[in-house]
Amino acid sequence: MTMNRVLYFKELKRNRKNTLIWTSIVVAFTFLILSIYPSFSQMGDQMTELMSSLPEEYARALGMDEGTWSSIIGFYSTYYGIYITLLMGIFLASTGATIVGKEERDGTAEFLLTRPMTRSTIVTTKFLALGTLLAVVYSTQTFFAVLGMNVFGDNVLWRHFVTMHVHGFVLVSFFTAAAVLFSSFLSPKLNYMGPVVGMIFGSFFLDAIAKATEQVSWLGYISPYHYLQLQAESGSLEVNWGSCIVLMILSLIMLKAGHARYLKRDIVG
Amino acid sequence: MNAIEFHSLSKFYGKHRGIEGIDFSVSKGEVFGFIGPNGAGKSTAIRTLLGLLHPSSGSASILGFDVVKEGVQARLKVGYLPSEVDFYPEMTSRELLEYHAGLYGIEKGEKRIEELAQYFELALDRPIDDLSYGNKKKCAIIQSVLHEPEVLILDEPTGGLDPFMQNRFFELLESLNKKGVTVFFSSHILSEIQRMCDRAAVIREGKITAIEDISTLLSKQMKKVRLVLKKETELSLPDGFQNHHSAGSKHNFDYVGPTEVLIGWLAEQDLVDVVLTEPDLESIFMNYYQR
Repeated sequence: MTMNRVLYFKELKRNRKNTLIWTSIVVAFTFLILSIYPSFSQMGDQMTELMSSLPEEYARALGMDEGTWSSIIGFYSTYYGIYITLLMGIFLASTGATIVGKEERDGTAEFLLTRPMTRSTIVTTKFLALGTLLAVVYSTQTFFAVLGMNVFGDNVLWRHFVTMHVHGFVLVSFFTAAAVLFSSFLSPKLNYMGPVVGMIFGSFFLDAIAKATEQVSWLGYISPYHYLQLQAESGSLEVNWGSCIVLMILSLIMLKAGHARYLKRDIVG
Repeated sequence: MNAIEFHSLSKFYGKHRGIEGIDFSVSKGEVFGFIGPNGAGKSTAIRTLLGLLHPSSGSASILGFDVVKEGVQARLKVGYLPSEVDFYPEMTSRELLEYHAGLYGIEKGEKRIEELAQYFELALDRPIDDLSYGNKKKCAIIQSVLHEPEVLILDEPTGGLDPFMQNRFFELLESLNKKGVTVFFSSHILSEIQRMCDRAAVIREGKITAIEDISTLLSKQMKKVRLVLKKETELSLPDGFQNHHSAGSKHNFDYVGPTEVLIGWLAEQDLVDVVLTEPDLESIFMNYYQR
């Protein structure tokens, strides 16, 4: 598998505007939630009381417990799990779904595939550009989260922070790879945003429902959120290396299958 | 070694036929026409040749490189002008042509881009999205010749070009051909084929129905005969005459057959006037198409 440098930089340039917009949204949201933590922490007792008045199932579904309000990590983890991974997942998975198919939908595949490159080089280069976008979005968000933790919090449990971000990275990578795979089977004329949002929200809510209701707890096994906790439970949050490795292997298999599928595809015009 | 070779090439879309058993070759330096009505399989043959479609069976090569196994080497020597022009709308023509040059490893293509843009009167710094279809087509022509290919594959190349630009395009093709560039010219506009090509293949319903020199196609085909006799007479028409219409002493008919037979027959008539019209490719094409 080889890559083409000209195509790689062109892909990054082509996606820079969207990446900048989505990264700005995610960073702004990260800073916003971290900046409001000091106000919540001053109401610690009241918030703990409020938590105890909430139905247990509801709090579990949203990943909240008493620890949510007593530390900046607990507070951040709730928003990180619900909003930040969803936002990053939606952007990167939708980019993954369109990064190859867009050429076919816009008719530019004919231009690209008649240049002196193998299809494998084209698809590999596009996947590398996608990986670069994922790394840029993720590392930028992580950088500003670290900055925000230092500005707005104290006694940060960095071990929990690292765990959360490792799990978040694996989840977003998994969703991106899944989007690449399903887009390789669908018509390029379809709008992929609906299926992408459905896949990510569906996974999130399956896990939330499974946590809230014991009778359907088996539903959680279908969702990748089940295997990679993003919120500390009973004050504990450890990296689940086994699940991380399995999900990363599954992601690579999905990328490889998507790659193989694109190599066989006829460009009818 | 031929410039292009098709060996029993077939492409089916499920049960639907695209092309079937295409088998011919184009010599180096030749300008070869590929004639057929819309939907006959011209674009399918070209797209298979360029690796956009995977052949169902058979093979094809460009300058000896198998288009499936050695597609990169083959495409390196090919310039392709598609029938429908779709480029990246956010780019300007200059950016697109520089991108194209980069993909071919051409480092200093700016001068050539400027020359060609000037020749075709193309504004290089306008976004492609703002260009008319004709200007997009000019951009497509420039990208097809920019990397100085040895083989040019043109699919309905003149659509969207005004007659003045069509003429410039043909002049460019003629000059490239003089330098040894092979041109594979697919079109349903028969006057273009007649003007540009040495030989042509006729494709109908995915199959090749004829491969001939253009001059042979013209010479051995139908002639239109219009004659005026000295007096109103019942004509006795031998084999090869068809579509006979008469009004008094005036007669019109088509003739397919040896020219000497026609001349011999005319010599026996009591003529006032006779007009023999050379067939145009339209008539030839229809003749093949109806077979």
